[in-house]
Amino acid sequence: MGTETFGRAAVDPGWDALARVAAGETGAFAELVASHQERLLRLCERLLGDVEEARDAAQEVFLKAFRKAGDFRPQGQVYTWLYRIAVNHCLNKLRRRRLVRFLRWDDAADPGNRGHPENTAEAPPFDPPDRAPDPAAALEARRRWSATRRAIARLPAGQRAVLVLARFEGLSYRQIAEVLGITEGAVESRLFRAMRRIEAAQETDSSQVSSREGRR
Amino acid sequence: MNRETEMELMRLLHGELPPDRERALRARLEREPELAAAWARLQRTWNGLELPPPAPIPLGFAQRVAARTREQSGARLPLPGEREMGSISWQAAPGWVRAAAAAALVAGAALGAGAGVWTGGRTSPVPEQGEQISGTAAEDGSLFGDDLAESYWSALDELGETPAAGDPAGDAL
Repeated sequence: MGTETFGRAAVDPGWDALARVAAGETGAFAELVASHQERLLRLCERLLGDVEEARDAAQEVFLKAFRKAGDFRPQGQVYTWLYRIAVNHCLNKLRRRRLVRFLRWDDAADPGNRGHPENTAEAPPFDPPDRAPDPAAALEARRRWSATRRAIARLPAGQRAVLVLARFEGLSYRQIAEVLGITEGAVESRLFRAMRRIEAAQETDSSQVSSREGRR
Repeated sequence: MNRETEMELMRLLHGELPPDRERALRARLEREPELAAAWARLQRTWNGLELPPPAPIPLGFAQRVAARTREQSGARLPLPGEREMGSISWQAAPGWVRAAAAAALVAGAALGAGAGVWTGGRTSPVPEQGEQISGTAAEDGSLFGDDLAESYWSALDELGETPAAGDPAGDAL
């Protein structure tokens, strides 16, 4: 689970930086970007599954944060606020992506994705080399990453956001609820349904693999 | 296994169960093989979700954010690493800037006095018919202010510095 404080009680110095951005102090914005760029780039990459698109998205998120700095109300942590902007932005991008695919009558290239309207089959261009000395282990790691990407891409946008925040960002139910502006019960329910889907997809995949192997 | 029990397992996985309910559920896991199998499956699925380490932050990302924000909002944002000057302050200005400003002030005063001698008695021109008197005495005297500013900016230009955000000449946020 998350190791960082996310609660309302903690005083986040980031609010001060944001207040200075709103007051027109120009250096404060650069400070805000420097403090949060790593986290936001990572979140966008995990939600969108595409490094280049994630970089664009993170820039747009900072731009939105700059524009909204004057409307902020110090509540919780600054990065909750930034996460909310980022998640909404990425979910909108995913919805637009789905619409474009629908209009182009262009289903995902991966046959395993057919029938799932919210999927994305694009593999991120960044695929870091595994530092494990064992090539078989490296190959296995890549296989797991690829399977996870496919599994996440098959999820509806809302479930995807909850799963990414819980599994990869390590946020608690309460923190996720705060970021997404939903109840903890809704977080729990979305996560449950996401896991159900993933388990079902894994069972289908493994039965397809075993039937292919049986035909050989 | 009903949905409520499955949800309990999810909460257990995320450390969201209160201690008393966690103890009760763990006791059931010891007794019920079907529940234990579901728990093992859930853990396997959860732990099997892996992504590669995130891509490194691209070089110059913060500069691009500042440039894009500047381009789209019209704000004058300093690029990271760019020195921010804040507002112009004579106290903060280097000695040579103050010297240059003083020289410009003296030169301006001399120029003004010379102009007064050259124009003779016509120190209060009478406007022609329809001509408007263009400004107040304070505006007419802005020559000194312009000279001061000009000497300040040209001195900065020589140093290769540009006025940074927060300067009156720059765009406000």
